[in-house]
Amino acid sequence: MEYHFSFPYIWGAGPDLMSGLWMTIRISLVSIAISVVVGVVGASIRVFQIPVLSQLTSFYVNFVRSTPLLVQMFFIFYGLASLGMPLSAYWSGVLSLSLWGGAYNTENVRGGFLAIPHGLREASSAMAFNKFQFLILIALPVGMRVSIPAILNTSVSVLKNSAYLQAIGLAELTYVAMDRVAMDFRTLEMFAAIGVLYLGLVLLLSFAVRRLEYVLQRPYRTS
Amino acid sequence: MTKRRFFPTLSCLAVAGICLAATAAHSADMPQLPQAIKDKGAIVVGTKCDYPPEGYLDTSGKAIGIEVNMAHKIAEYAFGPGTKAKIECVTTANRVPSLIGGKIDLIIATMGVNKKRAEVVDFTEAYAWSASSVLVMEDSPIKALDDLKGKKVIFVKGAWQIPWFEKNYPDIEHMRLNTVSEALQALMQGRAVGYAHDLPVQLGLAAKNDKIRLLDQQYKIGIRAAAVRPGEKEWLAYVNACLDKMKAEGVFPVWIKEFVDPAQQAEKLLFWDMSKKPAS
Repeated sequence: MEYHFSFPYIWGAGPDLMSGLWMTIRISLVSIAISVVVGVVGASIRVFQIPVLSQLTSFYVNFVRSTPLLVQMFFIFYGLASLGMPLSAYWSGVLSLSLWGGAYNTENVRGGFLAIPHGLREASSAMAFNKFQFLILIALPVGMRVSIPAILNTSVSVLKNSAYLQAIGLAELTYVAMDRVAMDFRTLEMFAAIGVLYLGLVLLLSFAVRRLEYVLQRPYRTS
Repeated sequence: MTKRRFFPTLSCLAVAGICLAATAAHSADMPQLPQAIKDKGAIVVGTKCDYPPEGYLDTSGKAIGIEVNMAHKIAEYAFGPGTKAKIECVTTANRVPSLIGGKIDLIIATMGVNKKRAEVVDFTEAYAWSASSVLVMEDSPIKALDDLKGKKVIFVKGAWQIPWFEKNYPDIEHMRLNTVSEALQALMQGRAVGYAHDLPVQLGLAAKNDKIRLLDQQYKIGIRAAAVRPGEKEWLAYVNACLDKMKAEGVFPVWIKEFVDPAQQAEKLLFWDMSKKPAS
């Protein structure tokens, strides 16, 4: 059976695709930002071995990494509503993506902290820094530079995983494609179009983070 | 041949001849099964798995229902008694891509016939008709379609209620989910004021659940048919012949009794009797 790939169709779907793209960008950026903060807080708790909180963070990381993200999304969207705490599709999406990204970022940042030379820890004790001062003045600046590649990895995953949110009715890019396919049956055109758009977003994100890395490496550059 | 063997031989030949004639007459009822299907040895049919009583899952996860039985009946006609069709669960949104992509050979999944769909698939003759309706919460102030203006309504992706509402009530906010069960759950959690879909499935949902009710107003009468890939004329003719045979054998009332609550059987029977379809 012949299939006639139609570029005019993709062009016609442009406005819908752009609104889906904008939703994807919004929800990904917000979730990535929150997940980085969650990661830093979680890693700090674990590295400083704060009692009780440390164990809870460990449990949270293991739980999120052991359950499928789609199940987590359904639980937050449908399950919380059954318990009397309904969240809109948008906020369910932000919550589930942030918790998911936050768990992975906790491990990423913790890895960065573990890479801090021991001498710095000793020097900060010698200068009577407390834990918080050590964190802000030494651990974060040094540790985060190490974990940026891993954080970029997790952020790209958060962006791609936003596609799952079509299942809870959030009108992001994949939802728009599936909706159009359901009405017009142009599977190849729609999924090729969003494939290209997602690729573009990931390349943009990677480029932005590489620039950030370049800027952060300035203090260490010899030339 | 001796006289002793003549008549027994003649009567055997006569019986054999009658049997052959009978078989020939029987297979003359049905057109030729396409070679591609014959070679496969089985038919793969897409049915709904969340849409009682046409297609849904029993407690062990097996697909059952009126349309599922239709699929198995076609397999029987094609490959002999006791053969079952291979059932693939499809949704409104993915049934056509699954057919075109070759994952299934036939759609029997509550598919309504319209011009746009007829451009991408070949429809068989109609086997049932349906109307559309809206479910709301029992205590909702909404009484008619006009009350939905400016509010949020749930649809299933790909449903033909979507273009109908886009044309007749363009200021309604849409929430489009993937399955009937998700749509119902979202309605009951108050995420929208109504859920618009086919009357046949919503009748069943409202009967089982006293927290929701149907609006009195119905809209968009349509017919349902099975669908095959465009250009597969042999297969289309075969499926049409199967549908005729099923109607002639009177299987639909039997299946409706099997899958529908006694209280709703009379109503359901109407949808499966094409002569009862209203004009519009």
